[in-house]
Amino acid sequence: MPQFLTGTEEETVALGERLARDLPSRAAVLLIGNLGAGKTTLAKGIVKGLGAAEPDEVSSPTFTLIHEYGDPVRVYHIDLYRLEHPAELDALGLDEIFERQAVCLVEWGERFPDRMPSPRFEIRLETLDGDRRRITLTAFPAGE
Amino acid sequence: MRILGIESSCDETAAAVVEDGAAVVSSVVASQLSTHGPYGGVVPELASREHLRAIVPVVRAALERAGTDFTGLAAVAATAGPGLVGSLLVGLTYAKSLAFARGLPLIAVNHIEGHIHAVLLEAKREGLPVRFPALALVVSGGHTHLFEVSERFDYRLLGKTRDDAAGEAFDKVAKLLGFSYPGGPVIDLLAPHGNPRAVRFTPAKMKGNTLDFSFSGLKTAVLRWVEARGMREEIDARRRLLKTTPHPGTEQWLEATPPATLDLLASFQRTVVDELLRRATAAAEQIEANAMIVSGGVACNTGLRAAAREARLPCPVYFPSPGLSTDNAAMIAAAAFPKYERGEFSGLDARAQANLTLALQ
Repeated sequence: MPQFLTGTEEETVALGERLARDLPSRAAVLLIGNLGAGKTTLAKGIVKGLGAAEPDEVSSPTFTLIHEYGDPVRVYHIDLYRLEHPAELDALGLDEIFERQAVCLVEWGERFPDRMPSPRFEIRLETLDGDRRRITLTAFPAGE
Repeated sequence: MRILGIESSCDETAAAVVEDGAAVVSSVVASQLSTHGPYGGVVPELASREHLRAIVPVVRAALERAGTDFTGLAAVAATAGPGLVGSLLVGLTYAKSLAFARGLPLIAVNHIEGHIHAVLLEAKREGLPVRFPALALVVSGGHTHLFEVSERFDYRLLGKTRDDAAGEAFDKVAKLLGFSYPGGPVIDLLAPHGNPRAVRFTPAKMKGNTLDFSFSGLKTAVLRWVEARGMREEIDARRRLLKTTPHPGTEQWLEATPPATLDLLASFQRTVVDELLRRATAAAEQIEANAMIVSGGVACNTGLRAAAREARLPCPVYFPSPGLSTDNAAMIAAAAFPKYERGEFSGLDARAQANLTLALQ
């Protein structure tokens, strides 16, 4: 279970870039952590690492629900924070997006565990003191 | 000369008829209609399948209220992006079908350009047209952008948020404190009851482009403040209030909100407003703007409006009326008007684009 420590936002972005290199071109990646844990910051790095957009282009998808990067789309950055009911995931067409040949970064996906694809990666972000973050990557189910 | 506008980029399904780019003849927004509306219920927020249910009755209602039918239209305009592709497709495809069936020109509009034109439309109607170049601050739940707007409606992006939109910061702070969604209105309602200088938040320092925004750090600072003070009980009390009373009034909120929390809300709002105006003013000075335009849902914020009035801005500032601040279709029809005059029509192959940019790259 690879674990990383970052001390600044820049380091979190750099870690995202590095993690992106090991991702298959089609993958679901859950970004799990509290408000302000750095989920969108890590997403900036992953999007950059996949060559889909520059970090400054990547902003929070909370309101718009889904941001797309790359042409053709290589990364879907999804945020389920605003959603309350599993039925809303159907309305969003999430299952169809997971089928596409792209990396799907999902914030707040752990709120709907039954609806998340398997296999998938889970990246947990924890705030330590100040700007320091502990970032843990796991494959789900284990051993994949 | 009437244009039908259609908007479906995010939560709202909307249609409107606008005359000569200045008069809103009708404007219908689905999520604002009562339960007695023509389709038998509040249209739940969200996404393409809900838009699909709403689009036909909403367009029909807009035409009926305008006292017109398709023969009275000069063109059909629809939002092509940015937004959710599935949602955008509903409005855009419907507009294409109408254009094709009725032989009307189709005009694809950028949603953010629409927000800017909401202000231009009203200024024109009031007989106080905006002078150019103008600085536009488009600020909502999904956007926080600064644009230079030229007389020909060319746009240059000067700055934008690198993380959360300003409206999103309002929503998230409200939610973590147990207030209702969307967060902007409730925080704006309670902020005057607190001391805006009580809690000091450090303004975001931007490396690189100093006209960019960042609200993620502020959101996190509020979270830390709350965690450090053990506010579980009052937060739970407000959540209970919301369960029994979906729309609490000011008095009910005040009863459930101690002075320290009111100070927090006031300080948070002041910090957001200061950030927005500070960078918008710097941008206006940089481009020697003759007007400042503030638009998008956050333009409803009374704290922002008051601060803009009191600030020594280098040029006059324009806000839209509240109904035209949030997502609507009148702004889409208004933005289509100059394109119509210039003959900038879209083909039936026009694409819905999630990340459609406004400025020339």
